[in-house]
Amino acid sequence: MEPLTAHAPVLQSARVTLDVLHTGVFWGWFVTMNFWSKSISTGVFLVGAFFMRKGPSRDFYRLVIPAVAFVFVDITLLFTVLDLHQPFRFWHMFVYPHPTSVINLGAWVLSVYVGLTFVMTVLAWKRQDGLYDRLIGPTWVVGFLATIYTAGLLGQSTARELWSTPTEVAQMILAATLAGSAVFLLLGKGHDQDSTVFAWVLALSAMVALTIYVTEVVFAPQKSEEAEFIVHALLSGNLGVLFYSGLVLGFVVPGVLALIGLRGKTPLLFPLAAVSSLVGLWLVKHAWLIAPQLLPLS
Amino acid sequence: MRLGFLVDLNNCIGCKACEVACKAENNVPVGAWRLRVKYVDVGLYPDVKRNFTPMRCNHCENAPCERVCPVSALHQLPNGIINVDSQRCIGCAACMMACPYGAIYMDPETNTADKCTFCAHRVEAGLEPACVVTCPTEANLFGDLDDPKSRISQYIASHRDVRVRKPEKGTKPKHVYCGGGQSQLEPLSVRREEGMNLFNRIGTLDKVGGH
Repeated sequence: MEPLTAHAPVLQSARVTLDVLHTGVFWGWFVTMNFWSKSISTGVFLVGAFFMRKGPSRDFYRLVIPAVAFVFVDITLLFTVLDLHQPFRFWHMFVYPHPTSVINLGAWVLSVYVGLTFVMTVLAWKRQDGLYDRLIGPTWVVGFLATIYTAGLLGQSTARELWSTPTEVAQMILAATLAGSAVFLLLGKGHDQDSTVFAWVLALSAMVALTIYVTEVVFAPQKSEEAEFIVHALLSGNLGVLFYSGLVLGFVVPGVLALIGLRGKTPLLFPLAAVSSLVGLWLVKHAWLIAPQLLPLS
Repeated sequence: MRLGFLVDLNNCIGCKACEVACKAENNVPVGAWRLRVKYVDVGLYPDVKRNFTPMRCNHCENAPCERVCPVSALHQLPNGIINVDSQRCIGCAACMMACPYGAIYMDPETNTADKCTFCAHRVEAGLEPACVVTCPTEANLFGDLDDPKSRISQYIASHRDVRVRKPEKGTKPKHVYCGGGQSQLEPLSVRREEGMNLFNRIGTLDKVGGH
Protein backbone atom coordinates (compact mmCIF):
# COMPACT_ATOMS: atom_id res chain seq x y z
CA MET A 1 0.00 0.00 0.00
CA GLU A 2 1.22 3.51 -0.84
CA PRO A 3 2.39 5.50 2.18
CA LEU A 4 0.39 8.61 2.96
CA THR A 5 3.46 10.77 2.50
CA ALA A 6 4.17 9.35 -0.93
CA HIS A 7 3.44 12.67 -2.56
CA ALA A 8 5.58 14.71 -0.20
CA PRO A 9 8.51 15.71 -2.45
CA VAL A 10 11.24 15.09 0.10
CA LEU A 11 10.18 11.51 0.77
CA GLN A 12 8.95 10.51 -2.67
CA SER A 13 11.89 8.26 -3.24
CA ALA A 14 12.41 6.87 0.26
CA ARG A 15 11.87 3.15 0.30
CA VAL A 16 12.80 0.11 2.32
CA THR A 17 15.40 -1.95 0.49
CA LEU A 18 16.40 -4.50 3.11
CA ASP A 19 14.36 -5.69 6.05
CA VAL A 20 13.04 -8.78 7.76
CA LEU A 21 9.55 -10.07 7.02
CA HIS A 22 6.85 -8.31 9.01
CA THR A 23 4.43 -10.34 11.11
CA GLY A 24 1.25 -9.24 9.34
CA VAL A 25 -2.22 -10.25 10.51
CA PHE A 26 -1.91 -12.23 13.72
CA TRP A 27 -5.38 -12.17 15.22
CA GLY A 28 -7.60 -13.81 12.62
CA TRP A 29 -11.09 -15.26 12.40
CA PHE A 30 -10.82 -17.15 15.70
CA VAL A 31 -10.83 -13.78 17.45
CA THR A 32 -13.72 -12.62 15.26
CA MET A 33 -15.63 -15.71 16.39
CA ASN A 34 -14.88 -14.69 19.96
CA PHE A 35 -16.42 -11.24 19.44
CA TRP A 36 -19.39 -12.59 17.49
CA SER A 37 -20.40 -15.46 19.75
CA LYS A 38 -19.91 -13.33 22.86
CA SER A 39 -22.27 -10.74 21.41
CA ILE A 40 -24.91 -13.45 21.02
CA SER A 41 -24.32 -14.92 24.45
CA THR A 42 -24.44 -11.70 26.43
CA GLY A 43 -26.94 -10.09 24.05
CA VAL A 44 -29.70 -12.63 24.73
CA PHE A 45 -29.34 -11.99 28.43
CA LEU A 46 -29.08 -8.20 28.24
CA VAL A 47 -32.06 -7.93 25.90
CA GLY A 48 -34.19 -10.74 27.26
CA ALA A 49 -33.75 -10.47 31.03
CA PHE A 50 -36.99 -8.49 31.40
CA PHE A 51 -38.99 -11.31 29.80
CA MET A 52 -37.74 -13.85 32.33
CA ARG A 53 -39.92 -12.25 34.97
CA LYS A 54 -42.89 -10.98 33.04
CA GLY A 55 -44.89 -11.63 29.88
CA PRO A 56 -47.00 -14.43 28.45
CA SER A 57 -43.99 -16.50 27.31
CA ARG A 58 -42.19 -16.30 30.63
CA ASP A 59 -41.50 -20.03 30.94
CA PHE A 60 -40.05 -20.21 27.46
CA TYR A 61 -37.58 -17.40 28.15
CA ARG A 62 -36.54 -18.71 31.54
CA LEU A 63 -35.00 -21.78 29.95
CA VAL A 64 -33.97 -20.50 26.55
CA ILE A 65 -32.09 -17.37 27.64
CA PRO A 66 -29.55 -18.93 30.02
CA ALA A 67 -29.22 -21.99 27.77
CA VAL A 68 -28.37 -19.94 24.66
CA ALA A 69 -26.10 -17.69 26.71
CA PHE A 70 -24.29 -20.71 28.13
CA VAL A 71 -23.79 -22.40 24.75
CA PHE A 72 -22.47 -19.29 23.03
CA VAL A 73 -20.19 -18.21 25.85
CA ASP A 74 -18.68 -21.69 25.67
CA ILE A 75 -18.11 -21.14 21.95
CA THR A 76 -16.46 -17.83 22.85
CA LEU A 77 -14.14 -19.53 25.31
CA LEU A 78 -13.41 -22.36 22.90
CA PHE A 79 -12.19 -19.98 20.20
CA THR A 80 -10.33 -17.89 22.78
CA VAL A 81 -8.39 -20.91 23.97
CA LEU A 82 -7.85 -22.26 20.45
CA ASP A 83 -6.36 -18.93 19.42
CA LEU A 84 -3.66 -19.18 22.08
CA HIS A 85 -0.29 -20.43 20.92
CA GLN A 86 -0.06 -22.28 24.22
CA PRO A 87 -3.70 -23.35 24.77
CA PHE A 88 -2.82 -25.81 27.53
CA ARG A 89 -1.50 -22.92 29.60
CA PHE A 90 -4.88 -21.17 29.75
CA TRP A 91 -4.98 -21.94 33.47
CA HIS A 92 -2.09 -19.50 33.93
CA MET A 93 -4.78 -16.80 33.68
CA PHE A 94 -6.05 -17.82 37.09
CA VAL A 95 -2.84 -18.68 38.92
CA TYR A 96 -0.77 -15.75 37.62
CA PRO A 97 -3.42 -13.03 37.41
CA HIS A 98 -2.37 -9.58 36.23
CA PRO A 99 -5.03 -7.06 37.27
CA THR A 100 -3.96 -4.31 34.84
CA SER A 101 -4.67 -6.64 31.92
CA VAL A 102 -8.21 -6.44 30.57
CA ILE A 103 -7.73 -9.89 29.01
CA ASN A 104 -7.18 -11.32 32.46
CA LEU A 105 -10.19 -9.49 33.91
CA GLY A 106 -12.20 -10.74 30.92
CA ALA A 107 -11.16 -14.34 31.58
CA TRP A 108 -12.52 -14.07 35.13
CA VAL A 109 -15.72 -12.36 34.03
CA LEU A 110 -16.38 -14.89 31.28
CA SER A 111 -15.70 -17.78 33.65
CA VAL A 112 -18.19 -16.41 36.17
CA TYR A 113 -20.69 -15.87 33.37
CA VAL A 114 -20.27 -19.49 32.26
CA GLY A 115 -20.97 -20.66 35.80
CA LEU A 116 -23.99 -18.42 36.32
CA THR A 117 -25.65 -19.24 33.00
CA PHE A 118 -25.07 -22.95 33.61
CA VAL A 119 -26.61 -22.79 37.08
CA MET A 120 -29.56 -20.78 35.76
CA THR A 121 -30.16 -23.31 32.97
CA VAL A 122 -30.24 -26.14 35.49
CA LEU A 123 -32.51 -24.16 37.83
CA ALA A 124 -34.88 -23.39 34.96
CA TRP A 125 -34.95 -27.07 34.01
CA LYS A 126 -35.74 -28.04 37.59
CA ARG A 127 -38.16 -25.11 37.98
CA GLN A 128 -36.52 -23.76 41.12
CA ASP A 129 -37.78 -20.21 40.77
CA GLY A 130 -36.55 -18.72 44.04
CA LEU A 131 -32.81 -18.94 43.46
CA TYR A 132 -33.31 -18.43 39.74
CA ASP A 133 -34.94 -15.04 40.27
CA ARG A 134 -32.19 -13.97 42.65
CA LEU A 135 -29.56 -14.77 40.00
CA ILE A 136 -31.10 -12.75 37.17
CA GLY A 137 -29.71 -9.41 38.36
CA PRO A 138 -26.12 -10.51 39.10
CA THR A 139 -25.96 -12.48 35.85
CA TRP A 140 -27.16 -9.44 33.90
CA VAL A 141 -24.39 -7.34 35.46
CA VAL A 142 -21.73 -9.97 34.73
CA GLY A 143 -23.10 -10.29 31.18
CA PHE A 144 -22.78 -6.54 30.74
CA LEU A 145 -19.17 -6.63 31.95
CA ALA A 146 -18.49 -9.51 29.57
CA THR A 147 -19.93 -7.40 26.76
CA ILE A 148 -17.72 -4.38 27.33
CA TYR A 149 -14.46 -6.00 28.42
CA THR A 150 -13.49 -6.56 24.80
CA ALA A 151 -13.57 -2.81 24.23
CA GLY A 152 -11.09 -2.46 27.07
CA LEU A 153 -8.90 -5.15 25.55
CA LEU A 154 -8.89 -3.41 22.18
CA GLY A 155 -8.26 -0.09 23.93
CA GLN A 156 -5.12 -1.51 25.53
CA SER A 157 -3.76 -2.39 22.10
CA THR A 158 -1.73 0.80 21.91
CA ALA A 159 -0.31 -0.02 18.50
CA ARG A 160 -3.69 -0.35 16.77
CA GLU A 161 -5.19 3.10 16.42
CA LEU A 162 -8.77 2.40 15.40
CA TRP A 163 -9.43 -0.11 18.17
CA SER A 164 -8.93 2.49 20.88
CA THR A 165 -11.69 4.83 19.75
CA PRO A 166 -14.04 5.94 22.56
CA THR A 167 -17.08 4.58 20.72
CA GLU A 168 -15.79 1.01 20.90
CA VAL A 169 -17.71 0.40 24.13
CA ALA A 170 -20.91 1.61 22.51
CA GLN A 171 -20.30 -0.64 19.51
CA MET A 172 -19.81 -3.65 21.78
CA ILE A 173 -23.10 -2.96 23.57
CA LEU A 174 -24.91 -2.39 20.27
CA ALA A 175 -23.45 -5.59 18.83
CA ALA A 176 -24.84 -7.45 21.84
CA THR A 177 -28.32 -5.92 21.61
CA LEU A 178 -28.35 -6.52 17.85
CA ALA A 179 -27.27 -10.16 18.15
CA GLY A 180 -29.45 -10.85 21.18
CA SER A 181 -32.61 -9.51 19.56
CA ALA A 182 -31.73 -11.36 16.35
CA VAL A 183 -31.61 -14.65 18.25
CA PHE A 184 -35.08 -14.06 19.72
CA LEU A 185 -36.49 -13.17 16.31
CA LEU A 186 -34.99 -16.37 14.90
CA LEU A 187 -36.40 -18.51 17.69
CA GLY A 188 -39.75 -16.87 16.99
CA LYS A 189 -41.64 -18.74 19.68
CA GLY A 190 -42.31 -15.79 21.87
CA HIS A 191 -45.52 -13.85 22.00
CA ASP A 192 -46.23 -11.56 19.03
CA GLN A 193 -45.89 -8.52 21.24
CA ASP A 194 -42.45 -9.73 22.27
CA SER A 195 -41.37 -10.03 18.63
CA THR A 196 -42.36 -6.43 18.11
CA VAL A 197 -40.13 -5.37 20.99
CA PHE A 198 -37.21 -7.42 19.68
CA ALA A 199 -37.67 -6.05 16.16
CA TRP A 200 -37.53 -2.51 17.53
CA VAL A 201 -34.38 -3.33 19.50
CA LEU A 202 -32.83 -4.86 16.37
CA ALA A 203 -33.73 -1.90 14.17
CA LEU A 204 -32.56 0.73 16.64
CA SER A 205 -29.31 -1.13 17.40
CA ALA A 206 -28.60 -1.46 13.68
CA MET A 207 -29.28 2.19 12.93
CA VAL A 208 -27.26 3.56 15.83
CA ALA A 209 -24.30 1.24 15.13
CA LEU A 210 -24.37 2.18 11.44
CA THR A 211 -24.48 5.88 12.27
CA ILE A 212 -21.48 5.60 14.58
CA TYR A 213 -19.44 3.59 12.06
CA VAL A 214 -20.21 5.92 9.18
CA THR A 215 -19.61 9.16 11.05
CA GLU A 216 -16.49 7.84 12.74
CA VAL A 217 -14.83 6.13 9.82
CA VAL A 218 -16.17 7.69 6.66
CA PHE A 219 -16.78 11.33 7.54
CA ALA A 220 -14.68 12.24 10.58
CA PRO A 221 -11.05 13.27 9.95
CA GLN A 222 -8.60 10.93 11.64
CA LYS A 223 -6.30 12.29 14.30
CA SER A 224 -3.09 10.57 13.27
CA GLU A 225 -1.29 9.28 10.24
CA GLU A 226 -1.62 5.73 11.55
CA ALA A 227 -5.39 6.04 11.95
CA GLU A 228 -5.68 7.52 8.47
CA PHE A 229 -3.73 4.58 7.07
CA ILE A 230 -5.99 2.08 8.83
CA VAL A 231 -9.18 3.79 7.70
CA HIS A 232 -7.84 3.83 4.16
CA ALA A 233 -7.18 0.07 4.43
CA LEU A 234 -10.63 -0.50 5.89
CA LEU A 235 -12.45 1.32 3.14
CA SER A 236 -10.53 0.07 0.12
CA GLY A 237 -9.52 -3.20 -1.51
CA ASN A 238 -10.70 -6.60 -0.30
CA LEU A 239 -11.17 -5.34 3.22
CA GLY A 240 -13.38 -2.57 1.90
CA VAL A 241 -15.65 -5.14 0.28
CA LEU A 242 -15.80 -7.01 3.56
CA PHE A 243 -16.49 -3.88 5.61
CA TYR A 244 -19.14 -2.39 3.32
CA SER A 245 -20.84 -5.79 2.95
CA GLY A 246 -20.91 -6.00 6.72
CA LEU A 247 -22.44 -2.55 7.07
CA VAL A 248 -25.13 -3.35 4.52
CA LEU A 249 -25.94 -6.86 5.74
CA GLY A 250 -25.42 -6.13 9.39
CA PHE A 251 -27.18 -2.82 9.76
CA VAL A 252 -28.89 -1.46 6.64
CA VAL A 253 -30.79 -4.58 5.54
CA PRO A 254 -31.91 -5.67 9.03
CA GLY A 255 -32.89 -2.12 9.95
CA VAL A 256 -34.98 -1.69 6.83
CA LEU A 257 -36.54 -5.17 7.01
CA ALA A 258 -37.40 -4.80 10.67
CA LEU A 259 -38.99 -1.41 10.11
CA ILE A 260 -40.98 -2.67 7.11
CA GLY A 261 -42.07 -5.68 9.14
CA LEU A 262 -43.13 -3.49 12.03
CA ARG A 263 -44.99 -1.02 9.85
CA GLY A 264 -46.77 -3.61 7.69
CA LYS A 265 -47.20 -6.08 10.53
CA THR A 266 -45.40 -8.76 8.50
CA PRO A 267 -43.36 -10.65 11.07
CA LEU A 268 -42.10 -13.04 8.38
CA LEU A 269 -39.46 -10.43 7.58
CA PHE A 270 -38.04 -10.59 11.10
CA PRO A 271 -36.12 -13.87 10.73
CA LEU A 272 -34.60 -12.56 7.50
CA ALA A 273 -33.54 -9.40 9.27
CA ALA A 274 -32.09 -11.51 12.08
CA VAL A 275 -29.99 -13.75 9.80
CA SER A 276 -28.74 -10.77 7.84
CA SER A 277 -27.73 -8.94 11.00
CA LEU A 278 -25.79 -11.89 12.38
CA VAL A 279 -23.92 -12.44 9.10
CA GLY A 280 -23.20 -8.74 8.68
CA LEU A 281 -22.06 -8.35 12.27
CA TRP A 282 -19.44 -11.05 11.75
CA LEU A 283 -18.16 -9.35 8.58
CA VAL A 284 -17.92 -5.92 10.19
CA LYS A 285 -16.15 -7.23 13.27
CA HIS A 286 -13.72 -9.20 11.11
CA ALA A 287 -12.82 -6.20 8.94
CA TRP A 288 -12.47 -4.06 12.08
CA LEU A 289 -10.14 -6.68 13.55
CA ILE A 290 -7.94 -7.05 10.49
CA ALA A 291 -7.48 -3.45 9.29
CA PRO A 292 -5.31 -2.15 12.18
CA GLN A 293 -3.06 -5.17 11.88
CA LEU A 294 -2.06 -4.08 8.37
CA LEU A 295 -0.30 -1.04 9.80
CA PRO A 296 3.52 -1.30 9.49
CA LEU A 297 4.84 -0.62 12.99
CA SER A 298 8.55 -0.28 12.35
CA MET B 1 18.73 2.52 38.03
CA ARG B 2 17.15 2.95 34.62
CA LEU B 3 19.01 1.08 31.93
CA GLY B 4 18.71 2.59 28.49
CA PHE B 5 20.05 2.28 25.00
CA LEU B 6 21.28 4.80 22.47
CA VAL B 7 22.01 4.22 18.79
CA ASP B 8 23.97 6.88 16.99
CA LEU B 9 22.63 6.50 13.48
CA ASN B 10 25.48 8.64 12.17
CA ASN B 11 27.88 5.87 13.13
CA CYS B 12 25.91 2.81 12.02
CA ILE B 13 27.36 1.25 8.86
CA GLY B 14 24.66 -1.42 8.44
CA CYS B 15 27.06 -4.34 8.86
CA LYS B 16 24.42 -6.33 10.78
CA ALA B 17 27.01 -7.66 13.21
CA CYS B 18 24.63 -6.73 16.02
CA GLU B 19 21.87 -8.82 14.43
CA VAL B 20 24.13 -11.85 14.21
CA ALA B 21 25.50 -11.39 17.73
CA CYS B 22 21.97 -11.13 19.11
CA LYS B 23 20.85 -14.26 17.33
CA ALA B 24 23.86 -16.23 18.52
CA GLU B 25 23.70 -14.94 22.08
CA ASN B 26 19.99 -15.57 22.54
CA ASN B 27 19.41 -18.59 20.27
CA VAL B 28 16.86 -16.68 18.26
CA PRO B 29 15.33 -19.12 15.76
CA VAL B 30 15.30 -18.75 11.99
CA GLY B 31 12.62 -16.33 10.83
CA ALA B 32 12.55 -14.38 14.09
CA TRP B 33 14.53 -11.32 15.17
CA ARG B 34 15.02 -9.56 18.47
CA LEU B 35 17.10 -6.94 16.75
CA ARG B 36 17.18 -6.04 13.10
CA VAL B 37 18.81 -3.43 10.91
CA LYS B 38 16.51 -1.86 8.34
CA TYR B 39 17.93 -0.33 5.17
CA VAL B 40 16.11 2.65 3.70
CA ASP B 41 17.27 4.21 0.43
CA VAL B 42 16.48 7.89 0.00
CA GLY B 43 16.86 9.92 -3.17
CA LEU B 44 17.14 9.25 -6.89
CA TYR B 45 20.25 8.17 -8.78
CA PRO B 46 22.87 9.62 -8.71
CA ASP B 47 21.90 11.53 -5.58
CA VAL B 48 21.12 8.56 -3.35
CA LYS B 49 21.78 7.82 0.29
CA ARG B 50 21.32 4.56 2.14
CA ASN B 51 20.32 4.78 5.80
CA PHE B 52 20.65 2.03 8.37
CA THR B 53 18.41 1.78 11.41
CA PRO B 54 18.86 -0.89 14.11
CA MET B 55 15.53 -1.63 15.77
CA ARG B 56 14.83 -3.48 18.97
CA CYS B 57 12.52 -3.36 21.99
CA ASN B 58 12.33 0.17 23.44
CA HIS B 59 11.97 -1.06 27.05
CA CYS B 60 9.35 1.61 27.68
CA GLU B 61 8.87 3.01 31.17
CA ASN B 62 5.14 2.96 30.51
CA ALA B 63 5.21 -0.35 28.65
CA PRO B 64 1.89 -1.27 26.98
CA CYS B 65 3.05 -4.87 26.52
CA GLU B 66 3.65 -5.29 30.23
CA ARG B 67 0.29 -3.73 31.08
CA VAL B 68 -1.73 -5.90 28.69
CA CYS B 69 -0.03 -9.23 29.42
CA PRO B 70 -2.67 -11.30 31.23
CA VAL B 71 -0.23 -13.51 33.12
CA SER B 72 2.66 -11.08 33.81
CA ALA B 73 4.94 -13.03 31.50
CA LEU B 74 6.18 -9.61 30.41
CA HIS B 75 7.41 -7.83 33.48
CA GLN B 76 9.68 -4.96 34.43
CA LEU B 77 12.90 -5.69 36.28
CA PRO B 78 14.15 -3.28 38.97
CA ASN B 79 16.79 -2.00 36.53
CA GLY B 80 14.07 -1.02 34.02
CA ILE B 81 14.48 -3.90 31.60
CA ILE B 82 11.22 -5.36 30.28
CA ASN B 83 11.84 -9.08 30.54
CA VAL B 84 9.91 -12.11 29.24
CA ASP B 85 9.12 -15.30 31.11
CA SER B 86 8.56 -17.78 28.30
CA GLN B 87 7.50 -20.50 30.76
CA ARG B 88 4.57 -18.37 31.85
CA CYS B 89 3.53 -16.93 28.46
CA ILE B 90 0.28 -18.36 27.06
CA GLY B 91 0.85 -17.06 23.52
CA CYS B 92 -2.20 -14.80 23.34
CA ALA B 93 -0.26 -12.22 21.29
CA ALA B 94 -1.89 -9.29 23.11
CA CYS B 95 1.60 -7.84 23.62
CA MET B 96 2.13 -7.91 19.87
CA MET B 97 -1.08 -5.93 19.46
CA ALA B 98 0.01 -3.45 22.13
CA CYS B 99 3.63 -2.77 21.18
CA PRO B 100 3.68 0.31 18.91
CA TYR B 101 7.17 -0.57 17.72
CA GLY B 102 6.56 -4.08 16.38
CA ALA B 103 9.34 -5.31 18.63
CA ILE B 104 7.67 -8.49 19.89
CA TYR B 105 7.44 -11.71 17.90
CA MET B 106 6.00 -15.16 18.43
CA ASP B 107 8.86 -17.63 18.74
CA PRO B 108 8.06 -20.32 16.15
CA GLU B 109 9.73 -23.01 18.26
CA THR B 110 8.39 -22.30 21.73
CA ASN B 111 5.10 -20.71 20.61
CA THR B 112 5.59 -17.95 23.14
CA ALA B 113 6.17 -14.23 22.82
CA ASP B 114 9.76 -13.08 22.79
CA LYS B 115 11.75 -9.91 22.28
CA CYS B 116 14.99 -8.10 23.09
CA THR B 117 15.74 -8.16 26.80
CA PHE B 118 18.82 -5.92 26.60
CA CYS B 119 20.59 -9.28 27.21
CA ALA B 120 19.34 -9.24 30.83
CA HIS B 121 21.35 -12.38 31.62
CA ARG B 122 24.57 -10.67 30.54
CA VAL B 123 23.69 -7.45 32.36
CA GLU B 124 23.12 -9.43 35.53
CA ALA B 125 26.64 -10.82 35.16
CA GLY B 126 28.09 -7.32 34.74
CA LEU B 127 28.46 -7.58 30.97
CA GLU B 128 27.10 -5.39 28.21
CA PRO B 129 24.53 -6.65 25.70
CA ALA B 130 25.96 -8.74 22.87
CA CYS B 131 25.05 -6.19 20.21
CA VAL B 132 26.93 -3.43 22.04
CA VAL B 133 30.07 -5.50 22.40
CA THR B 134 30.11 -6.54 18.77
CA CYS B 135 29.40 -3.17 17.14
CA PRO B 136 32.57 -2.17 15.21
CA THR B 137 31.77 1.56 15.19
CA GLU B 138 30.42 1.90 18.73
CA ALA B 139 27.10 3.07 17.35
CA ASN B 140 25.37 1.29 20.22
CA LEU B 141 25.64 2.73 23.70
CA PHE B 142 24.17 1.09 26.79
CA GLY B 143 24.03 2.33 30.35
CA ASP B 144 22.19 3.88 33.25
CA LEU B 145 20.05 6.84 32.24
CA ASP B 146 19.72 7.87 35.91
CA ASP B 147 23.47 8.21 36.31
CA PRO B 148 24.57 11.60 34.93
CA LYS B 149 28.14 10.35 34.73
CA SER B 150 27.33 7.31 32.58
CA ARG B 151 28.51 7.48 28.99
CA ILE B 152 24.99 7.26 27.61
CA SER B 153 23.77 10.14 29.79
CA GLN B 154 26.71 12.29 28.80
CA TYR B 155 26.22 11.41 25.14
CA ILE B 156 22.57 12.43 25.32
CA ALA B 157 23.46 15.63 27.15
CA SER B 158 26.04 16.61 24.56
CA HIS B 159 23.95 15.92 21.45
CA ARG B 160 20.95 17.93 20.36
CA ASP B 161 19.51 15.53 17.77
CA VAL B 162 18.44 12.82 20.20
CA ARG B 163 14.89 11.46 19.90
CA VAL B 164 12.67 8.46 20.46
CA ARG B 165 10.25 6.66 18.20
CA LYS B 166 6.55 7.56 18.43
CA PRO B 167 6.68 9.80 21.53
CA GLU B 168 2.98 10.57 21.01
CA LYS B 169 2.13 7.06 22.26
CA GLY B 170 3.15 8.05 25.76
CA THR B 171 5.22 4.92 26.27
CA LYS B 172 8.35 6.77 27.44
CA PRO B 173 10.89 4.61 25.58
CA LYS B 174 14.31 4.08 27.12
CA HIS B 175 15.79 3.45 23.67
CA VAL B 176 16.86 6.65 21.96
CA TYR B 177 18.35 7.51 18.60
CA CYS B 178 20.92 10.12 17.75
CA GLY B 179 20.86 11.50 14.20
CA GLY B 180 18.79 10.00 11.46
CA GLY B 181 15.69 11.38 9.84
CA GLN B 182 12.01 10.86 9.45
CA SER B 183 12.45 8.11 6.88
CA GLN B 184 14.42 6.03 9.39
CA LEU B 185 12.14 6.27 12.39
CA GLU B 186 8.64 6.66 10.94
CA PRO B 187 7.52 3.60 9.00
CA LEU B 188 4.69 5.37 7.19
CA SER B 189 7.07 7.89 5.68
CA VAL B 190 8.71 5.36 3.38
CA ARG B 191 7.56 3.01 0.66
CA ARG B 192 7.57 -0.61 1.67
CA GLU B 193 6.96 -2.38 -1.62
CA GLU B 194 6.35 -6.09 -1.30
CA GLY B 195 8.54 -8.30 -3.48
CA MET B 196 12.19 -9.01 -4.18
CA ASN B 197 14.55 -6.21 -3.34
CA LEU B 198 18.14 -5.73 -2.36
CA PHE B 199 19.39 -9.16 -1.17
CA ASN B 200 15.99 -10.22 0.17
CA ARG B 201 12.21 -10.29 -0.11
CA ILE B 202 10.24 -7.47 1.46
CA GLY B 203 6.97 -8.90 2.72
CA THR B 204 5.09 -10.49 5.57
CA LEU B 205 5.37 -13.86 7.23
CA ASP B 206 2.71 -16.32 6.07
CA LYS B 207 2.42 -18.09 9.39
CA VAL B 208 4.09 -17.85 12.77
CA GLY B 209 4.20 -20.73 15.21
CA GLY B 210 1.70 -23.52 15.31
CA HIS B 211 -1.89 -23.80 16.40
